[in-house]
Amino acid sequence: MILAIDTSAGTTAAVFHGEKMVSHISFEDRFGHAENIGFAITRALEEAGIEASDLTMVAVGRGPAPYTGLRVGIAAGVSLATALNIPAVGVITLSAVAKKHPDGKVLVVADAKRKELFLAGFEDGREVIPPKVSTSEKLTEFGDFQQVDGKCDAGLIGQYAIGAMASGIDLSDTSALYLRSPDVSPSKGKRVSG
Amino acid sequence: MEIRELSIGDLNAVMAIEPELFGHEAWTASSMTSEINGAFTHYLGVFDGDLIGYGGISSIPNSFASDIQTIGITQSRQGQGLGQQLAEALLAKAKALGSEAVFLDVRADNLGAIALYKKLGFVQIDVRKNYYRPAGIDALVMKLEIRQPIVLGVESTCDETGIGIVQGNRLLANALHSSMDEHAKFGGVVPEVAARAHLEAMQPTIHKALQEAGLSMKQIDAIAVANGPGLAGALMVGIGAAKALAIANNKPIYAVNHLVGHVGADVLESGSVTLPTIALLVSGGHTSLLLVRDLLDDVELLGETIDDAAGEAFDKVARVLGLPYPGGPEIDKLAATGDPKAIRFPRGLSLPKDMMKHRFDFSFSGLKTAVARHVEKAEDQGLPISKPDVAASFREAAVDVLLTKAINACERYEVKRLLLGGGVVANARLREVAKERCDAAGIELRIPRFSLCTDNGAMIASLGAQLVMAGREPSTLGFGAESTMEVTKVQS
Repeated sequence: MILAIDTSAGTTAAVFHGEKMVSHISFEDRFGHAENIGFAITRALEEAGIEASDLTMVAVGRGPAPYTGLRVGIAAGVSLATALNIPAVGVITLSAVAKKHPDGKVLVVADAKRKELFLAGFEDGREVIPPKVSTSEKLTEFGDFQQVDGKCDAGLIGQYAIGAMASGIDLSDTSALYLRSPDVSPSKGKRVSG
Repeated sequence: MEIRELSIGDLNAVMAIEPELFGHEAWTASSMTSEINGAFTHYLGVFDGDLIGYGGISSIPNSFASDIQTIGITQSRQGQGLGQQLAEALLAKAKALGSEAVFLDVRADNLGAIALYKKLGFVQIDVRKNYYRPAGIDALVMKLEIRQPIVLGVESTCDETGIGIVQGNRLLANALHSSMDEHAKFGGVVPEVAARAHLEAMQPTIHKALQEAGLSMKQIDAIAVANGPGLAGALMVGIGAAKALAIANNKPIYAVNHLVGHVGADVLESGSVTLPTIALLVSGGHTSLLLVRDLLDDVELLGETIDDAAGEAFDKVARVLGLPYPGGPEIDKLAATGDPKAIRFPRGLSLPKDMMKHRFDFSFSGLKTAVARHVEKAEDQGLPISKPDVAASFREAAVDVLLTKAINACERYEVKRLLLGGGVVANARLREVAKERCDAAGIELRIPRFSLCTDNGAMIASLGAQLVMAGREPSTLGFGAESTMEVTKVQS
């Protein structure tokens, strides 16, 4: 039994029995991650008819995505796995979305706020442009790619994790994929007298 | 029918039934007065219009135990289960006080009482021969063990990731990861840097706390988390983690106020909550003066900073003096060799005109500016400045205003107890002056050890434990982060 959690957009949680998704709970609110995360997890477990102790693994979406919400899902997923003493794995959301588009050249694009975008390119399901920050003006550079919406959810995270694990891909990194440094520069201090 | 705490106003009612209840073992009015008024005794009365019975316990701080002093119901109302209700109320009180055991003596010939105590879980541990005189009746000594809840607390309001574990009023673990070093180059806490650090530190800090306590997550009875006040992004990491910890083993969760947690920290130091108290909480994020009459139900904000927090002022002045972040320890070091009277820096909100609206509020931004002006003026004129004198004079001004207002609050509210909390308590001069002035004013000063003064998970666990011990309902799972949570809101 695998619990997948993703808070890259809304707050979503899903339970997988084998490869089959048996529940999927989604809160669309893009700001209520801290409020909704507990409900998303408990309802996903309830709908699947299982207890948390039945879980064997937790998969979390690592982003890239707006940071504040993203962190809530990762913190919850990793802590749940810690408490249950089961493994936690991390999935890059753009890769999870790309799974839906296995053919041709696909550019998965997600909002990065501050008039920027997160994107990654895939060709026949293989990553050819690693996740990076860009802008809508620069999208013309990828003219031969079909653009797709990068909105992710726990269902996609779970499916990707199950597939990747079966192919022996290492998903042990559960850290948030920020792609940007914290937006600060050291203060120089300024004079108070004229 | 109502069971409530007795006050001295109930003395006459108590004395009216005392002889009937206890015959020649009845207490005098004066010993009953000291029982009801005692700082470590708690008396409950059963009222049905009139007082129809009462009982009391004594619980000495740090003993982690209570003794049932007396318990009795008037003859005409016996056999209605009132004795059991009263005993249960006394045991609930003992539990809320943090007792891990309750002791009592009972006459060996009082078979009804012995049966009741056995029913409540007491076991006989000793006999005192010929204890009740002149009849020469033995006293049975009975004991009830109370298993206090084990609570794990999550703290992530600012730059410290704290996971603490307590059992009742006992500290079991206090694991901490600080991101302070990462903020040093920015000269202050950067919210995004703090939030990132919390996420990375959460899992290792949980492991560290469990290891320190020698426990597994399954042995934790409840989770507590600080959901405000603090930095929103940082708070949300702790909330996400805490909710998952609760869900994992189907345990209740308590969302608590970080500032009240600072007051709760003292429970772990002294084994009990000694109230009422004035609390002065000074850190890089807060400067708050509280009147705490009841940790869970009655916390009043008397005043707070209207601009910079005290710790922030230390950081800013340190920068003016070319000292690294965090400024507190650096200024403390430098000030040790300086003259605190060299420069008279302003004491914010201390003028007569401030007393109406801001009597217990603080302002440190003017003080910081005055220091900067002093230094800039000397530099502009090419004059040398004594950095130790500036540091000592600044520190003196900050400490003076903090303690003047705190002591004033103790006097104004007639509360002869002052509790210090927050990272600025590390400041040697603050502790020194607090001691001097409290001694002079006859005020009991309480300063928990430093690891309980700075932000930490144990204080959050402790406040959570107080809620559990008092039988409070857990928080519902939908709570969020409240950056500007009012201090009156102890639990969300």
